[in-house]
Amino acid sequence: MTKKIHRVVIVGGGSAGWLSAGIIAAEHCIGLDSAANSVFDPALAKSSSDNFQLILVESPDISTIGVGEGTWPSMRTTLQKIGISETDFFRECSASFKQGTLFSGWMGGGKDATSDAYIHPFTAPQSYAETNLAPHWQLIRDQVNFADAVCPQSALAEGNLAPKKISTPEYAFQVNYGYHLDAGKFAELLRAHCVDNLGVQHVKANVQAINSADNGDIASIVTDSAGVIEGDLFIDCSGSKALLLGEHYKIPFCSKQQHLFNNTALAAQVPYGSPDDAIRSFTHSTAQTAGWIWDIGLPTRRGIGHVYSDAHISEDQARAELLSYIEASAGKDAADQAMVRKIKFEPGHRAEFWHKNCVAIGMSAGFIEPLEASALVLVELSAAMIAEQLPANRQTMDLVAKRFNDKFLYRWDSIIDFLKLHYILSERDEPYWQDHRDASSIPDHLAEQVKLWRHQTPWHRDTSHVDELFPSASFQYVLYGMGFKTEGSTTMRRSEQQAHKIAGNLFQENAKRTQQLQASMPTNRELINKINTYGLQKI
Amino acid sequence: MSNYVILTKVAHKDTKVILDRSTAYGDKVKIALTFPPEFRNVQACYPIFFIKDGETGQFYPAAVFGFEENENLFLSDQGWDASYIPMMIRRHPFLIGYQPGPNGEAAEDNPVVSIDMDNPRLNTEKGEALFTEEGNQTEYLQQSIAGLEAIHAGHEHNKIFIEALLANDLLEPFTLEITLNNGSNNQLLGFYTISEERLRELDGDTLMKLNKEGYLQAIHMQLASFARIRTLIDKKNALLS
Repeated sequence: MTKKIHRVVIVGGGSAGWLSAGIIAAEHCIGLDSAANSVFDPALAKSSSDNFQLILVESPDISTIGVGEGTWPSMRTTLQKIGISETDFFRECSASFKQGTLFSGWMGGGKDATSDAYIHPFTAPQSYAETNLAPHWQLIRDQVNFADAVCPQSALAEGNLAPKKISTPEYAFQVNYGYHLDAGKFAELLRAHCVDNLGVQHVKANVQAINSADNGDIASIVTDSAGVIEGDLFIDCSGSKALLLGEHYKIPFCSKQQHLFNNTALAAQVPYGSPDDAIRSFTHSTAQTAGWIWDIGLPTRRGIGHVYSDAHISEDQARAELLSYIEASAGKDAADQAMVRKIKFEPGHRAEFWHKNCVAIGMSAGFIEPLEASALVLVELSAAMIAEQLPANRQTMDLVAKRFNDKFLYRWDSIIDFLKLHYILSERDEPYWQDHRDASSIPDHLAEQVKLWRHQTPWHRDTSHVDELFPSASFQYVLYGMGFKTEGSTTMRRSEQQAHKIAGNLFQENAKRTQQLQASMPTNRELINKINTYGLQKI
Repeated sequence: MSNYVILTKVAHKDTKVILDRSTAYGDKVKIALTFPPEFRNVQACYPIFFIKDGETGQFYPAAVFGFEENENLFLSDQGWDASYIPMMIRRHPFLIGYQPGPNGEAAEDNPVVSIDMDNPRLNTEKGEALFTEEGNQTEYLQQSIAGLEAIHAGHEHNKIFIEALLANDLLEPFTLEITLNNGSNNQLLGFYTISEERLRELDGDTLMKLNKEGYLQAIHMQLASFARIRTLIDKKNALLS
């Protein structure tokens, strides 16, 4: 059994399917020969050729869910690797720059609207590789908020300023950024690129049955209009119904509702009052009685939605909160005309993601509420690991599968810990928020960490993993943004005096750089208009 | 600030233009946009690099006169010390403007000669007259208008030239760091040049195409202009000593 792995079949064509296809195809040069026959030919559907083949089977009848509209900065590298020009990406996906998240109303405890807000920016604190500014900021915390003190990015929120200029090359930046994008258009751009330039074969058909091999592998899938498609590795991107990993293999689903209660989203698209309205630099997340509202600015419209726990409020109440938010920020007409889509989900993930010769990516692997936009980054990381460690043959596949499962189970736990942190520091008094602070709902690992952080700030040493999903800087931003207090150490350390001087200089440098950026960066709207007119240069 | 108006023989019959080169007349500049048709003359005196326009991010070729903002190492009390002065420097105080034509032509199709009334070169006593007693264009004005037309064509030329360079990945970022005789360091940042490595890799068909379109010569003129960096360094060192 040294069967080679040279035919990969992806089932499902949303952002997850096409992004995975792009990442894997870009790494495994499929070559021009197969690009020429990227129109699917059933006669070639037998796993006979020695060339690497990538086939994506997409149902013509199922529409994609299309609400994943925020990315991490990792998407810049991903798009660059896939070979998509950033100019094309901006023009075709109604994309804008995302520099982090602005949290409003999360603290509660009687704070007014201005003081109950903080930013988690994508840029790490100044000199983060060497210097931990958090302990030094504790001494000046009454004068300046944490993000403003250590990083110039949060200050760009006020003027809706961009993270780069028209003369900055594609994918380069003055301050780090990811994207806000139109998920439907994004899948379409990826599809065109995968098929036209990367040699991915696109099959439009519904999967009707699955044929098993003697060893329990998936031998082939049976489709309604493209016959039987054989494969060596099957990637399940079929969304939350998890056609292969869930329905076929019956891999159990692990609910995480005991930690993170949100299980329903009401999503709407809201037009701008005028085409010149400012485009926000940050995802705006506003806490509600039993959940929170996202507000994402694209050049063409805003995407606004309420994600909440249906055990804590009714759909009517959730809808009323959403419409009142829309009315307050976009006017009564926008609220009256809003078409609201309801999306139900169970927060959690599969007990394993790679089973036999089948691996799940995207909603089929799991989904937890969109706070901190972890959905697309998990797709990127999953596909990248498959692309990088694509098993040479069937024998090694089980070993790669085990590594994959270990890694991603750890990552889901990290996501749950980090999202939960946002809730447990709140002082809001509605039942939903009180339930979030109930000790039984807090993962043990997180509870321990928070105890430790009462006495020492989050820092590189907190983790033993080199490719941690959330670096300690993210924990610093959320903790100190939420007003968390870390008590200073009781003994004066020798190293401290010198460190304090360095920190003072870094705070000053940051203030200077903040001023420079505020004075020189264009607005998001200005820059996106210029990208549409002139394009960004590749160098 | 500039104050451009359309040139007419009535309004400007007594206007004269001082041709001296000096700081007072706005010649103390670090760079000037240039065009392939004048590359041969420019590279004899100055390094040519590619720069991005801050407003559009688009590349353009530029002659370089100094290392810092508002530094022109060729300019002194004795004037501009070089055998050739780029067209974009010589064009002042004129500019091609656009306005709707008398027969309904769209503004962009109707170029007209404009003159900057706030330019310090203008006066009524010294320098070159624009019109003769009879109201005809002087030779100076005729030459200036020909220069403007060359500049107008040059902009179009640049656009296609840059497109050809980018299409063949021929541009690359370039940072020059030099240490002067007094030990101080100077940097030229934000400059791009033609990649000799990429140029060597081009296949015969591509080279033939570039040659036919006249770009191959321009490419080599730009590369040859590197020798003029030494001129800049020598002039800077001479200022320091």
